[in-house]
Amino acid sequence: MTAPIRAEKLTKRYGDHTVVNGVSFEVPAGSVFGFLGPNGSGKSTTIKMLCGLVQPSGGDATVAGFDVERDGDGVRRSIGYVSQSFSLYGDLTVDQNLEFYARAYDLDLDRRGVRKSAVMSITGLAPFAAYTASTLSGGWKQRLALACALLHEPRVLFMDEPTAGIDPVARRELWDLLFTLAGEGVTLFVTTHYMDEAERCSRVGYIFEGDLIALGTLDELRALQDVNPPGTVRYKISAHDVMQAFARARALRYVRDVTIFGRDLHIVADASASEARVHDDLSASGGSVGQVSRIEPSLEDVFVALTRARGAS
Amino acid sequence: MRRPFNLHGYGAVLFKELIHVTHDRMTLVLALMLPIFQLLLFGYAINTRVDHIGTAYFDEDRGPDSVQLLDALRASNEFDLVYSASSRADLRSRIVGGRVRVAVDIPPNFSADIRLGRPATVQVLVDGSDSSIAQEALASSGAIGQALSARLGRASLAPQVVDVRTRVLFNPSLRSANYLVPGLIGVIMQIITIFLTALAIVGERERGTLDQLLVTPIGATGLMLGKITPYAAIGFIDFLLVLTAMRFVFGVPIAGSLLLLLFCALGFLVAALGLGLMISTIARTQAQAMLMSFAVMLPSILLSGFFFERDAMPLVMQWVGFAIPLTYFLEILRGIVLRGAGVDTLWPSITAVFALGTVLIGIASVRFARSTD
Repeated sequence: MTAPIRAEKLTKRYGDHTVVNGVSFEVPAGSVFGFLGPNGSGKSTTIKMLCGLVQPSGGDATVAGFDVERDGDGVRRSIGYVSQSFSLYGDLTVDQNLEFYARAYDLDLDRRGVRKSAVMSITGLAPFAAYTASTLSGGWKQRLALACALLHEPRVLFMDEPTAGIDPVARRELWDLLFTLAGEGVTLFVTTHYMDEAERCSRVGYIFEGDLIALGTLDELRALQDVNPPGTVRYKISAHDVMQAFARARALRYVRDVTIFGRDLHIVADASASEARVHDDLSASGGSVGQVSRIEPSLEDVFVALTRARGAS
Repeated sequence: MRRPFNLHGYGAVLFKELIHVTHDRMTLVLALMLPIFQLLLFGYAINTRVDHIGTAYFDEDRGPDSVQLLDALRASNEFDLVYSASSRADLRSRIVGGRVRVAVDIPPNFSADIRLGRPATVQVLVDGSDSSIAQEALASSGAIGQALSARLGRASLAPQVVDVRTRVLFNPSLRSANYLVPGLIGVIMQIITIFLTALAIVGERERGTLDQLLVTPIGATGLMLGKITPYAAIGFIDFLLVLTAMRFVFGVPIAGSLLLLLFCALGFLVAALGLGLMISTIARTQAQAMLMSFAVMLPSILLSGFFFERDAMPLVMQWVGFAIPLTYFLEILRGIVLRGAGVDTLWPSITAVFALGTVLIGIASVRFARSTD
């Protein structure tokens, strides 16, 4: 069986500007694919091409076995799509929004009733059925959008930054919901800015200026050479004055890269530099630093490294 | 790529649109009340016979016949003799200054000329800046002159008083009322329908609901028809209201078949709503849609034959008129209401209005289907 989502050299150009540049990937059934990248890097355009909202300029893609260009209707019947911003009807109630989408997806009367209660119980919306959609909070609006997208039991679900602008608790609950769906065999394609969300995905792809520059499981990405150049180690150093420590670390000859993470520094140094030496050198130049410990790159380290490597090339 | 001519999802869209329409009470009330309100307002403004026109006179004759003439003017509904000028210059200044619309100048030998059987001249100056007043004044003064001539038993006098030949015979004021009200109804219906649907699609785009709609299997034509059905119903109610007002307020009878008129009105509504929809699929913002509607509205009024005879227009303008649903509907309205025309003579316009509706909805569907670029 072919993968539920498959893109082959998928490209979108607007005039001379290439927004998505020959992107290829596959998403296996029942997995959660995290699609990452800075704003304007082509994330939304890719998702819209896969949903049939934007016509590709080149390459091809199949979703749930349907060609996105030739069989748009087939794609539309098999996917759910939750967009970045609230895209339902604010003047309709929760129940009326669900009713509209149930009808739009051609469910018959009996099926509509069954599916509406099913998605309301999955998302916990049942108590709010009679609420006007515009009065819901951000988190609940996203649940309603998800509920509408699930009515026709899609095998593939696309979500474009579903957690942007909702509070952390709602965010976590929504993700728990997504994993429940993945457990039931739904394939999820999710774009996000949040690294903690990305780290929960089975596979991630990183798109930068239209190019897919990394693709794989978290462990595969951490092991990439651009992330861990041969002969280097990665340390985490806690410091009271992070800015001062940052400046000092950058001055050290054996330090290749420094990034601030909150009150910590992550440095990439020549393998010859031991924890003790780094600690001594940073302390010697005035000021004090805490413990130096060797770390595996986080996903954010991965993306910082990949973005820099690309900028340098 | 979405297939444009697909009726799928019509019921779903209709369900949703009916909720939108009934939720937005203010818009619903406006949509139902504006046409009848505007017809009453402008129907009166345009159609009521112009009367009580402020008139100044200078009677240099002061003879028995000049008094008769002034009495006749005074007795008429059209003229209010508001000022008796002391000189010809005074009379002129009155009309030049805009204080009166009409000035009647009776020369010193008026009565004498009549007694001697010579042509007696009365000069009537009419302010032409308002053409409807001017027309009325011309016609009425002519009629009064003619009546006076007849009363004086000197038929030969008639042409000399004022030109009386044309409009009095056909009672021009009555005819223009019948001619104008059906036309006005057409114009009002055209305007309200464009505004009802011009925001239909672009509104979804601006509210951000369009993408969500586009990922469903709803067909383009299904969406278009689902969108216009509630508005077609509103438009039809509007039409019934203005038609009732035409018949019972303005007293314009419907000479032909009411059923045929209502049937044609449905075709016109689909075409006019389709024009609005087409605008809505072209515009990227609601402001653009509003400006485009405005751009369509004025030609609709000016080129459809409401104001000006289409035969007298340059050929290019006549062609533009063919793309306007109102052009055909005016033919049909005036034909059925005034002349009692039936399908046998009106079929070209009836066919055209239905064809135009189909074409406009078709273009809107194709435009919408292509909106996934």
